[in-house]
Amino acid sequence: MTHTMLTIRDLHASYGAITALHGISLDVNEGELVALLGSNGAGKSTTLKSICGVLRPVYGSVVFLDEQIANKTPESILKRGISLVPEGRDIFTSLTVAENMRLGAFVSYNRKRYQEDLEEMFGLFPILKERLHQPGGLLSGGEQQQLAIARALMSHPKLLILDEPSLGLSPALVDQIFELIVRLRERGMTILLVEQNAERALRVADRAYVLNTGVMEFSGTPEELENELDIASVYFGGGEGNKEVTL
Amino acid sequence: MSGVQMILGRIKAQAVAWILAAALLLVAIVMNLFASGVLIDIYTYFCLNLLLVLGLQMFMGNSGILNWTYVGFVGIGAYASSILSTAPAVKDMGVPNMYPALVALQLPILPALLVGGLVAALVAAIIAWPLMRLSNAVGVITLFATLIVMHVILTQWDNVTNGPRTFFGVQYYTTMWIAAGAAAAVLLMALWFKESSLGLRLRASRDDRHAAKAVGINVVAVRYFSFVTSSFIGGLGGGLWAHYITSFSPKSFYMGEAFLLITMLVIGGAGSISGATLGAAIVTIMRELLRQLEGYLNNSGVIAFDVYGLTEVAVALLMITILIWRPGGIVGGQELSWPLWRRRDNSAEGE
Amino acid sequence: MILGEFIINTLSLGSMYALVALGLVFVYGILKLVNFAYGEYVMVGGYTLYVLGTFTPVPWLAVMIIAVLMAAATSYLTELVAFRPVRTKSLDAMLVTSFAVSVLLQNAVLLLVSPRSRAVPLPAIFSQSVAIFGVVTPMRNVLTIVTAVLLLTGLTLLMKYTVLGIAMRAAADKFTTTRLMGVPANLVISVAFIISGFLAGVVSVFWVGRSASVDPLIGFTPLLIAFIATVIGGMNSLVGAVVGGFAYGLLFNALSILLPASLISYRDAFMFAIVILFLLLKPEGLIRGNYTEERVG
Repeated sequence: MTHTMLTIRDLHASYGAITALHGISLDVNEGELVALLGSNGAGKSTTLKSICGVLRPVYGSVVFLDEQIANKTPESILKRGISLVPEGRDIFTSLTVAENMRLGAFVSYNRKRYQEDLEEMFGLFPILKERLHQPGGLLSGGEQQQLAIARALMSHPKLLILDEPSLGLSPALVDQIFELIVRLRERGMTILLVEQNAERALRVADRAYVLNTGVMEFSGTPEELENELDIASVYFGGGEGNKEVTL
Repeated sequence: MSGVQMILGRIKAQAVAWILAAALLLVAIVMNLFASGVLIDIYTYFCLNLLLVLGLQMFMGNSGILNWTYVGFVGIGAYASSILSTAPAVKDMGVPNMYPALVALQLPILPALLVGGLVAALVAAIIAWPLMRLSNAVGVITLFATLIVMHVILTQWDNVTNGPRTFFGVQYYTTMWIAAGAAAAVLLMALWFKESSLGLRLRASRDDRHAAKAVGINVVAVRYFSFVTSSFIGGLGGGLWAHYITSFSPKSFYMGEAFLLITMLVIGGAGSISGATLGAAIVTIMRELLRQLEGYLNNSGVIAFDVYGLTEVAVALLMITILIWRPGGIVGGQELSWPLWRRRDNSAEGE
Repeated sequence: MILGEFIINTLSLGSMYALVALGLVFVYGILKLVNFAYGEYVMVGGYTLYVLGTFTPVPWLAVMIIAVLMAAATSYLTELVAFRPVRTKSLDAMLVTSFAVSVLLQNAVLLLVSPRSRAVPLPAIFSQSVAIFGVVTPMRNVLTIVTAVLLLTGLTLLMKYTVLGIAMRAAADKFTTTRLMGVPANLVISVAFIISGFLAGVVSVFWVGRSASVDPLIGFTPLLIAFIATVIGGMNSLVGAVVGGFAYGLLFNALSILLPASLISYRDAFMFAIVILFLLLKPEGLIRGNYTEERVG
């Protein structure tokens, strides 16, 4: 029987007067790859910010491994085992690759294991070994994305969240990133994948959610989703901005 | 927010300003009828402070830029109007090194006050354009540095200002009536400015500089004209203040005064006129009470040493407490309004 | 020999200014707060020197160390009591708070000690002179330079090779992302304030070492120098602060020599005019730095 890892219930979040989430619910079970889809402004990033403690939800619960984390700080949420690969990579451009990795292991650091962890990451991302002492800012977009994922994995997360990992990458690099996601999943990692590229995400996901202007429109398996919805409307963003802005 | 509510909001804001302006005059009448000289003095002083704070609010409150230089423009106005209105014989005695041309110059007080405001505005107009391009930390530091430059010039240019020494012999002109009337007028002006198209654009640039630019607001120009306007009021206020206090030195236009004015503005709520008024009232009352206490302590010999700085310590503590408690000031960014209206506003924002 | 003297003077002055500027930027880099209370940490150090040096038999080296620690503790305390509660609310509120803290500390000393300046007894080593490469110079100049070199080396090692240093650099680059790595925000900010106060304390020793007195306004000039130096060097880089400090030392010494006597009283105005001009032409400073403008929230 699968164990539920993350449970979100009736989550409301807002930026000042603008409400971005109108009570969404979502589950991620252990070992699953869950895709969260939606167009620009649908509230995907807001959901992630609320999970990771960057944004305090107005109302609702976020339970991770049987513990309420809705009002915890980002650092304590990471300690509990949720690691985020932020949108747009967000690596530290002035720090070297090695320093970025070291920070990724900030909470989990263990002198003996650290070297092994690094070697493991170099196995997954050989390019990082070559670039180890270069500043992150000098890496290409694809390399930065790899660094961001490797950095997140250094903390030994129980749940890995990826925010738009394919954004701004060439098709070949997108393939590479998705291959990697599949490999991580095969190794037993629980993953919440947020994507605009619905088609690609659905090919690898176990289950999917579709978010539209702050409301959860659909949840189910990729097959069910394909039957129920025209993918194009998700991908290109149907019904944008109707009740989003209520000033 | 619906159109009706917007119009309602506007009337509300205006009503508050009119009520405040009327209250200023009403208190002046009551003071005149019943109060003693000390109270009248304190009230005059409050009105002048209020006028100066409102001038500061015009730019700082609406732009969100911490304006250190304002008190310098107050100084320019004070010196300009005092030099122009003081009789040549008095200046000859008081300011021995003054340029002869300046000594000879004399205007009646009203034109001198006006020129004081205009000189302040002119200086602002000359130096402000490049300053208004800067934002964030660099902007804060530059304005701070500008105040220091102004202070150095005021203290060193003794052919004009009598240097660091006191400039005295200024005619007394600003009675309680004039101070209260001027403060009421500036109050309405500050409101008009806030609601004017310039003020609106300035507030938009405060809330989001990049978005304001994106909708076609020339942020630098909007800041520039507002800064000059605010400096003009500061200069006028400085003149009125000078003709109340009658002798002063450059010290009066430096960090200490800047701190008091900024405190008055910030604790009430920099974004609103009612906040500025409340802040001016609180700080003036507190300052007078503490001064009395300081004076009492120093004269009575209760404590072995002289007490200095009590007022500043208390005002600073108050400011920190209020910022922790309500970083937007007591009133906040919205104008004060009646409880009924306020409740409806909140529910409109809820969803 | 005049050139030699000029060089040593400039290096010594520049070293002190570099430390002053560095202290300010440590906090600015992470919080984006221009800390107006920074000069008051120098003042606290100065008054500790005065009180312990005058009224207690504590040996001088210990007095200096305590002074430095007191400055660091004051800095940490102001962070804890005043800045932390307003930190998440508004940057403007924090800026005004720092000014209020400055006024508070200044006037507290005015109230508790005296508005007048106090003489601080100094150990003989500060007034002795030494000859270096044939240039006779006060020992305190040499001490300043040596201390600055040691401190800058130490801080460089700290920032480059310890996790804490890496985390601080990361926080200055992207604060929120750093927290997502599990780095506690309070830790990074507190350490920044402690280092800032520590540097202010070291500066207070040499500052008082030059004037042999303290007064409640002693922190104002170091604050201004920190402003100018960081603006010249670039607000967004630690290296920039050091470069700016030395550049300011050079500018100050050069103006002192070059300006005619009648204009020397305007020196500060000239300095600031140069700074303002500099800002208008090159707002990012000599060293651009790669920190972003992200707010802490």
